[in-house]
Amino acid sequence: MLELDGVTAAYDSTPILRDVDLSVEEGEIVGVMGKNGVGKTTLMKTIIGLLEPSSGTIRYAGADVTDAPADERARAGMGYIPQGRDVFPKLTVEQNVRMGETVNADSEQTLYDQIYDYFPVLAERADQQAGTLSGGQQQMLAIARALVSNPDLLLLDEPSEGIQPSIVDQISRDMQAINDDLGTTILFVEQNLGVIREMADRCYAMERGEIVDEVGPTTLADEDAIAEYLAV
Amino acid sequence: MATETSGAGPADAGDSGALAGLRSRFEGPNTVGNSRGFWVGFLVAVLALAAYPFVVGSYQASRFSLFLVYAFLGLSLSVVWGYAGVLSFGQVVFFGVAGYTFGVVSVNFATPAGITGAFLVGVFGGALMAFVLGYFMIYGGVRNVYVTIITLVSTLVLHTFMAQTAGDEWTIGEAALGGFNGMPTIPNLAFGVGGASITFSSMTFYYLVLGLLVATYLGLRALVNSDYGRVMVAVREDEDRTRMFGYDVERVKLAVFTLGGALAGLSGVLYAAWGNYMSPGVFELTFASLPVIWVSVGGRKTLLGAVTATVGIEFLRNSLGGELAFVIVGVLLLVFILGLPGGIVPWVHRTYVEMRSDGATPEPPEASAEVSD
Amino acid sequence: MVNGLNLLFQFLDSFAFIVLAAAGLAIIFGIMGVINLAHGEFIMVGAYATTLANIRAGLPLPAAMLVGVLVTAGFGLVVERVVISGTVPNALSQRFLGRKVIEPLYDRLADSMVATWGLSLIMVQGVRITLGNSLDQIGTPLGNIAYSGFSYSTYRVMLAAVALGVLALTYYVFTRTEYGMRARATIQDEDTARALGVDTERTYMTTFAIGSGLAGLTGALYAPTITMVPGLGSSFLVEAFVAVVVGGPSVVLGTTLAGGLLGAINATVSNVLGTFFGRIALLVTAIVMIRFLPDGITGFVETLRERRQEGA
Repeated sequence: MLELDGVTAAYDSTPILRDVDLSVEEGEIVGVMGKNGVGKTTLMKTIIGLLEPSSGTIRYAGADVTDAPADERARAGMGYIPQGRDVFPKLTVEQNVRMGETVNADSEQTLYDQIYDYFPVLAERADQQAGTLSGGQQQMLAIARALVSNPDLLLLDEPSEGIQPSIVDQISRDMQAINDDLGTTILFVEQNLGVIREMADRCYAMERGEIVDEVGPTTLADEDAIAEYLAV
Repeated sequence: MATETSGAGPADAGDSGALAGLRSRFEGPNTVGNSRGFWVGFLVAVLALAAYPFVVGSYQASRFSLFLVYAFLGLSLSVVWGYAGVLSFGQVVFFGVAGYTFGVVSVNFATPAGITGAFLVGVFGGALMAFVLGYFMIYGGVRNVYVTIITLVSTLVLHTFMAQTAGDEWTIGEAALGGFNGMPTIPNLAFGVGGASITFSSMTFYYLVLGLLVATYLGLRALVNSDYGRVMVAVREDEDRTRMFGYDVERVKLAVFTLGGALAGLSGVLYAAWGNYMSPGVFELTFASLPVIWVSVGGRKTLLGAVTATVGIEFLRNSLGGELAFVIVGVLLLVFILGLPGGIVPWVHRTYVEMRSDGATPEPPEASAEVSD
Repeated sequence: MVNGLNLLFQFLDSFAFIVLAAAGLAIIFGIMGVINLAHGEFIMVGAYATTLANIRAGLPLPAAMLVGVLVTAGFGLVVERVVISGTVPNALSQRFLGRKVIEPLYDRLADSMVATWGLSLIMVQGVRITLGNSLDQIGTPLGNIAYSGFSYSTYRVMLAAVALGVLALTYYVFTRTEYGMRARATIQDEDTARALGVDTERTYMTTFAIGSGLAGLTGALYAPTITMVPGLGSSFLVEAFVAVVVGGPSVVLGTTLAGGLLGAINATVSNVLGTFFGRIALLVTAIVMIRFLPDGITGFVETLRERRQEGA
């Protein structure tokens, strides 16, 4: 479904991503793990199109999207959940979710019922200003917002960052459920060991802007092996 | 900070030690033209300007001297905007205040000594006004963008104020401010006391202005290439970082703003003496925007750009005359700020340097983002 | 008592003037971070189009005003594509030179001021060259309110009601329509809005057209009461400009409060010392407000609210 080939991306003239190759098949949950500063957020921004790669190609659903702007990719079916949630602070919860309707423009279908099933707290606080929600609630809102149009691919940037552990667990389980129920493909970047092991079918390891390893389900079960990639 | 290797190659090593030492005070990364070739060209240009009145006669020379007077105004904005990062729409405020001050004092004390005093008071008045306004804004922590807005509004305040000074009660001593009619009969510039004095008019005025301009240009070159100049540029590029290195950013901005006021004031005094007349028209938005146009087209980060663009554009405007001139100037401004925001002179310089060193010169990275707050 | 009435009318007149002058500019500044110094000339376009439609083409005044609004909105669209976002020149240069030549002016406050100033020069002189130094005048409708020796133009006082209507309409568009929600989301977080599929380019284009249309409306409304000269925009620009800055980031509330405050000061001082000093008082107030509340009135209120939330 998603294929990155030799992608290099830079901020001004400092290269962050170097010759990244990765691929995600339909229906998978794939993780990318790495410490702070290896370029995880840059990778996500490049995939959604907020950052233009200086070389390489990105293919999505069989088409070359390397030159496509972010809003085009979103409308093609990519649902993006930024690090730090980035909810629209002065819009209400309900309005934030509605903003997600432009994602996956071809599909008329909206999943309001399912979303409020997964995250009932959003229905309770529908008219509250999004900026006043707690971190965990904002994360749920960001997910709901990206999900409401039933995108084919969800892009999650460090879903556990800044959120209390109990909510993190819940979110991991919710993502699994979404993948099971809706068949949504999920690509996420993380540095939290537990989340990676809980959610990922398989996982790439990233170091200094490069993909250095690909880890399958058996190795994922081995805590020590993964901890190496995440050691500070 | 990268130093431009702009054609100052082995050929220049032939200069004698003293000459090279003198030159180094006026050269550096903050100005265009750091080679022997440049200084030769500069000398040629100055000589050409000196010969100009003999070629075209004193009437044309007198008209041309107005453009040279404006060059000080252009330089004042270049110093404040190009070198310290503060876009001021209000340089004409100091220009006008100084001009009117000169007018009031010189009309009341029409002797050479009095006029000399008027000159000094006028320039000082411009600088003082800049200091006061600058203090109010800069030490009030107003961000650069809002400094721009406040200077724009100040221009309008002065325009509105001076426009309603038509009545007789608006007379200081012998000098009537005159509202929209303006203040006429401002005497010619004179320096000296009694018998030992020169009065400047036509040709002599031309040479005075030319001399002052060359001296000011060189002086500013030395300033911006000095250590203080580097602090100025550091403030322009990144205020917070400069502050963290221990520099008093507010003091630098205020000092530069005051200097800009003095330069604009000098321009205003010379203007008043040139035309023997001051009117509120100098506070109009159309005139207030001219320095921005000159400096945007010429290249605000270079002194040379400011001077050449001012003289060039004003000459053009004067030759074309009328409404078409303003349309062309407007188009110029639009095209340049959108397509070539750095201005002509840096672009010409870059192209020249690239051609000379076959494109192998490393260029200091252009700060592509606008200085934002 | 009579003077009080006169003062009230002056206030309403001033309030209407400021709000109507500022509305279009506030929207463009608030959403796109662009300061359009040619705003006065957009108003001029609306006024001229209305006058020409009414006097030369014989349309009734309300229809002529509609023409004024549409012409200005269309003109604004062209300006946005060519100057503000640079899309058209970039598309051309992409074809012939293989690269883009212009950066959009969004969020570049100083550069947008300079560029739009150039545009304004072109517009004023262009109109002067093509249509001459002045244009025929539409008569002011609705006569005067007369009371014991004083009289005030009914039309100009009525414009205060129109101004409130414009504010209400703007509020409605920005809080109750899809476009309004997307525009507000774009202001709050442009990147995220784009990443959710919002065509931010089209949002900006629409916003600029709406802001221009409002400017056109102001021109259309004031066409019967002001002298039709190419430079007529300049008397609107300054008031609009300072009102936007003093008002702050909230488009509707900021413009309303700024209009109220500056209008009151202008009216009061004008009443006592004459219109010149009224204007000076307005400008000086603006300077003081900018110095002490650089984020405007509504920006200041926001900061207070945020601080109180943090402290709680």
